[in-house]
Amino acid sequence: MNSIIITRAGTHSTIQDFGRFQYQHLGVSPSGAMDQRIITELQKIIPNHQNQFLEFAYVGPSIKVKEGSVKICVGGNCNMSIQKNNNSQLECQPYKSINLFEGDELIIHNTIDSVYGYIAFEHGLGLEPCLNSYSTDTKAGIGSINRPLNDEDIFHISKDVSSWDLISIPIPDLEKVTNFKVYPGPQLQYFSDNTLQSFISGVFTITNQSDRMGIRLKGESLISSKSHDILSEGILPGSIQVPSDGQPIVLMRDIPCTGGYPKIAILNEVDISRISQLPPETKITFDLQTIY
Amino acid sequence: MYFKGINSYGDRGLVLDFGNETSKSISQEVNEAFLNISNLNLQSLNIIPSFNKIVVIFENSHIRDQNKDKINIKMNETKSKSNKKATKTWKIPACYDEDFALDIKIIQKLHQITKEEVINLHSSVRYYTYYIGFMPGFPYLGDVPSQLITPRLATPRVKIPARSIGIAKNHTCIYPKVSPGGWNIIGQIPFDIFDLQSSYPSLFLPSDEVKFYSVSLSEFQKIRKYNFSINELIKEYSS
Repeated sequence: MNSIIITRAGTHSTIQDFGRFQYQHLGVSPSGAMDQRIITELQKIIPNHQNQFLEFAYVGPSIKVKEGSVKICVGGNCNMSIQKNNNSQLECQPYKSINLFEGDELIIHNTIDSVYGYIAFEHGLGLEPCLNSYSTDTKAGIGSINRPLNDEDIFHISKDVSSWDLISIPIPDLEKVTNFKVYPGPQLQYFSDNTLQSFISGVFTITNQSDRMGIRLKGESLISSKSHDILSEGILPGSIQVPSDGQPIVLMRDIPCTGGYPKIAILNEVDISRISQLPPETKITFDLQTIY
Repeated sequence: MYFKGINSYGDRGLVLDFGNETSKSISQEVNEAFLNISNLNLQSLNIIPSFNKIVVIFENSHIRDQNKDKINIKMNETKSKSNKKATKTWKIPACYDEDFALDIKIIQKLHQITKEEVINLHSSVRYYTYYIGFMPGFPYLGDVPSQLITPRLATPRVKIPARSIGIAKNHTCIYPKVSPGGWNIIGQIPFDIFDLQSSYPSLFLPSDEVKFYSVSLSEFQKIRKYNFSINELIKEYSS
């Protein structure tokens, strides 16, 4: 038996996978990793990840091997090091597999010029799925672990490391995008041509009131010419909704299942991952596509 | 027929449009279409009905475009023939005791009626389940009798107790778990309506019919102790 203990939980550390689907009509949000590009990359290094990825934001967790040994890989742009059992320190890099032995501690200090990072564990973390997914939705209290991770959480990994071979991939080119192509939202016609012009030509700032549910933007007010109150309808991640204060919100993975604000536009799937990595104060612009 | 057509929602979604109004008959058509589309077993990620829309979400635009025609054909097919699906009819015990009826006085005052009248009116109607949303398992039921129609609280409550029954505008609801919210709370039911351990986690489904009946506090506590599972609740309280 191999086990690890969380010696420092970090901030917003949760278990995530590619999302929980087929339950949104029962009020259950899709959730899933904020930056799905990274866990897609990690699959190449740890193919047997069991869909139990650890996601963290800004400050990463520290993880110590209690018993046995584990093979892991970190994804994202992070500062990290390994404190060995014999007190020596080891450098380590993302997208390279890491073998950790009893007493070794992986310390992820922080993400660099980005928000989210991930850890894949060979054979997973010994968790059971909840509604066919391992993802945690902290607001709804749903998940293989239905809360953020805490200090002292322990995970048992029954299978032993399959091979000590070190595997790495080139650091993926997850270029930083700040201009987003968006498609018309279902309520595009709720906004006048002038307001749409402000949306396209304006610069919006990501505020610190942003989380797994949504990214709140600050910029020129986008006031609807019709109403900011529609009958609630199904919504999907990436939608840009505009409440009555005119400040748009990009809805993210822990989306409310239905929403009553007009949606001016929607991002494509990969741009949801891209925008999730932009820290507060980043300035972004939108480019409205007419096709679709 | 209220169905107007199918529109795109970004690069990977579709919106089936049933107009801008809301009524039980619109919802009946929406929920029937929801079942028909669910039965197509499309490669969709989510199918979400609401008052007058159905949103269907796919992994990407390619799969979306492949499936759009199948939905279109199904919608045109069902335009002519309606296949009514057997939905459940629920009789749900409700305790309107003052410990639970946090906002019943607001409704009494607004409509100049007694507490007994609120209870009798609320439990007199067989409600229709418009859809499930807002939080896991939360049913939008309606319509409440006109003497109970009440706006949302001016200041939403930070913590509504789990299993609370609420009224807002012409709808009534049950909060599956503790939550912030703006509905006027008038009572509580004695069991949970969302169970993550079940493969059918939500007690109520769109288009179920729900009627409340008033129970005393002691009866409420008795039922509470049974800790019914979803399957037991279905046997005990639905037909």
